[in-house]
Amino acid sequence: MHLNNFLTVVFVVASAPMVITASAAAETPSDTMYWQSVASDAHEAYFEEELPLGIQVVATALDGPVYTDTQGRTLYTWPLRALRNGSTGDRKDGASNCTDEVLRTEVGFMSPYPAGLVLPYSDQGVSCTQIWPPVLAPEDAEQVGKWTLVKREDDSNQWAYDGFPLYTSNLDEKPGDVLGGTKIRSGGDGGVVRVPVGPPANIPPGFQVLSSTTGRLLVTGDEYSVYTWDGDEANISNCHGECLNNWSPVRAPQVTVDSGDWTIIEHSSGINQWVFRAKPLYTHNKDTRSRSFAGSDVPEWHNVYTQRAVTPPDEFTIQDGAFGGQVLADARGRTIYLYNCRDDSVAQLACDHPDSAQEYRMAICGGGEPEVCRETFPYVVADAGAKSESSLWSVMAIDPNTGRHSAEDEEGTLHVWAYRSRPVYTYSGDQEPGATYGDGFGEFTGSRNGYKAFVLRDVFQNNHFRR
Amino acid sequence: MPQVWNATKTPQVLSFAFFSTMLAFAGAATAQLPEPHQKDGRIGYVLTERHWAIHETEASTECPQGMNTRGSRDLFAQQFPEDSDVERTVVDTRLMIEAYQYHTNTATTDIYDSLPYYEAQGNVSYGLNLDGEVNADDFMNSAGEEGIDNQLYRALGCIAGYRKDGQYWFFENAFMINNGSNRWMIELSGVDDLVNDDDVTVTTYRGLDNLLTDATGVGFSAGGTQRVDARWGQSFVEEVKGKIVDGVLTTEPIAQAKIPWSQPGVSDGYHIFKDLQFQFKLTSQVAQGLMGGYVDIEQYNHRFRTSWSSHHQNYGQSSSGSEYTALKRLADAYPDPETGANTAISGAVEMTLTQVYIVHPDE
Repeated sequence: MHLNNFLTVVFVVASAPMVITASAAAETPSDTMYWQSVASDAHEAYFEEELPLGIQVVATALDGPVYTDTQGRTLYTWPLRALRNGSTGDRKDGASNCTDEVLRTEVGFMSPYPAGLVLPYSDQGVSCTQIWPPVLAPEDAEQVGKWTLVKREDDSNQWAYDGFPLYTSNLDEKPGDVLGGTKIRSGGDGGVVRVPVGPPANIPPGFQVLSSTTGRLLVTGDEYSVYTWDGDEANISNCHGECLNNWSPVRAPQVTVDSGDWTIIEHSSGINQWVFRAKPLYTHNKDTRSRSFAGSDVPEWHNVYTQRAVTPPDEFTIQDGAFGGQVLADARGRTIYLYNCRDDSVAQLACDHPDSAQEYRMAICGGGEPEVCRETFPYVVADAGAKSESSLWSVMAIDPNTGRHSAEDEEGTLHVWAYRSRPVYTYSGDQEPGATYGDGFGEFTGSRNGYKAFVLRDVFQNNHFRR
Repeated sequence: MPQVWNATKTPQVLSFAFFSTMLAFAGAATAQLPEPHQKDGRIGYVLTERHWAIHETEASTECPQGMNTRGSRDLFAQQFPEDSDVERTVVDTRLMIEAYQYHTNTATTDIYDSLPYYEAQGNVSYGLNLDGEVNADDFMNSAGEEGIDNQLYRALGCIAGYRKDGQYWFFENAFMINNGSNRWMIELSGVDDLVNDDDVTVTTYRGLDNLLTDATGVGFSAGGTQRVDARWGQSFVEEVKGKIVDGVLTTEPIAQAKIPWSQPGVSDGYHIFKDLQFQFKLTSQVAQGLMGGYVDIEQYNHRFRTSWSSHHQNYGQSSSGSEYTALKRLADAYPDPETGANTAISGAVEMTLTQVYIVHPDE
């Protein structure tokens, strides 16, 4: 991946004075700021919980450890959430609302359109359980720890975790796939989503791990970023005197025991300080917002992840954007967009991948016209023979007229980059590197049926990472 | 640069009560707060209230036919009545209407043309005389000044959402306050006298910090600090000459300026103003008045449709496609060289800016 902070072109109206020459030269290189190599052994440690027979833990590239069934398929919950005009999903400690009923019409949970509109796939006999098969348990299964059993309508047993019935996704094909959802927070009008479940991260009280587009970010309990410093030695803090004007050691309890990646040292100021993987941890006194990356703008200081996402393919770059942050971009600096879609059936099925109904995306990007779509939000065509070391990225054969998978040698087939098995796009209206003019293009500002920029860092909006 | 405190991890919205307490117990701090809040001929202000300038009368006489009812819900009800017993599809209804928002400029038909559209009537409005002329479609302001250019008011003045307490009126201001990417500032330099000075320089910036509220939590206090966003905010930096006459700042036009105008969850929202001018009544605490210019219509439409979903547009019984048509119809400047159609519309924004200490990167 080309890590190109310097490609950023600052566009200023000719009469305007430059405040400074924009440069991120002194910052942490983006390759170590956001990504880790495929060979990295950094994986999130977790607490081992009691598990039913056949349930296992699999490490994944973006979401850390997840629970899977015997075949390695990731397990998901579907927690109930309120939408504009109603709610759907599963209640905690309740039965499953994902049924065999064939989906035919919208339910009108999303304003302003009424219930009863016929779905684009109404003639295909699709049901919730076809897309989200329930994780069934043997008749003699017994609950263990957080794992309980719920009865389905046909009297079969379904596993539940922490009170929520469990499902697999028909998109996941191999262990480590988490294509049905992500742990990145969802909110607002994006629909009632499925969430992969996994064991709790092995972190001390007072810390959290947040899923982000760049990996599993370690933060404090109130979500302020923690940092490490290259000036420290293994398990020794060299941050004294003036250093402490800008950085505060993260306090550890007086009485505790070392555990896995975590140890405690006594800082020269007399307090106990947490150490993660032999690196003392600090908060940045000048961070004005939570989930900040501002500390990593200081040379030799770094945000901390339990695991970063694997570096994207070489054809991608990082760009500064005038919105205040950084985005993933193609080789020419054009911002990458992800397409989000969830239908308004009671099952809230995703319509954001090539196997789903394409009518939603075609309406937004092209008014129903595929050629307009290709012009407005073009696919990111991969170089010949391109491959990705990251399991999150792949080259996909697509028929651009239908938006669906195509045979490799079919005439007109495009070989395009896909992220989490969904094609990515650029936007024709972006006129300079790092522009995010297409962000919010679509229903509910792009979160329901539309496009969102692939944001890596968002200075002003507290890094509310887009899913 | 005098600073009462440095910006730290402490929540940036500090109450005026706390501020007052600090001053009461720290005589030295009181001495550091100059009156007026300027130094070396510089004074800064940060935007703390912002609304499109819409003239409203108590009886709404400017909208004799009432408010517009031209949202997608209104269109849906008219074209797809519930009692018709016709089964409708997602593609033919919802997606057709949503697609129109994003392809208005290429669509051959206006899907809203069966619904009436009400423009604001009369010849009174707020705004600035942008072209120095008095023309037939211009307005007169409350002070009796003629030649006021504000056709955007003509286009949008009878949409409930833009009027006082409407959702655009309220939320676009609230989001300006709460979303840091909208932190917009002006700095006056070369100021000898805040009441009369025939040569000052006005520079616009985006700031990095949250606003300083007063004890109510909804008002704002002078004396806060804002760091200039030098890394991400270069495209919001403009410089223009101005003068202060009897305490009122006026400026020469800025050829084109980008004003941050983002919604939560959407990056890069902004408006483009051409021939942008300011007219602010200045005190050492506050700058209050109007920003006027020719608003780029394509950008207006793009920001609106990517910031407000159909659901939200319906609160105001409006729709982006419908507004876009009205803005183009009443556009009064910057004709397209090929088609001759005007691409910008005169408009004005009511603003209140509160004094702030602007911290430059080298300070």
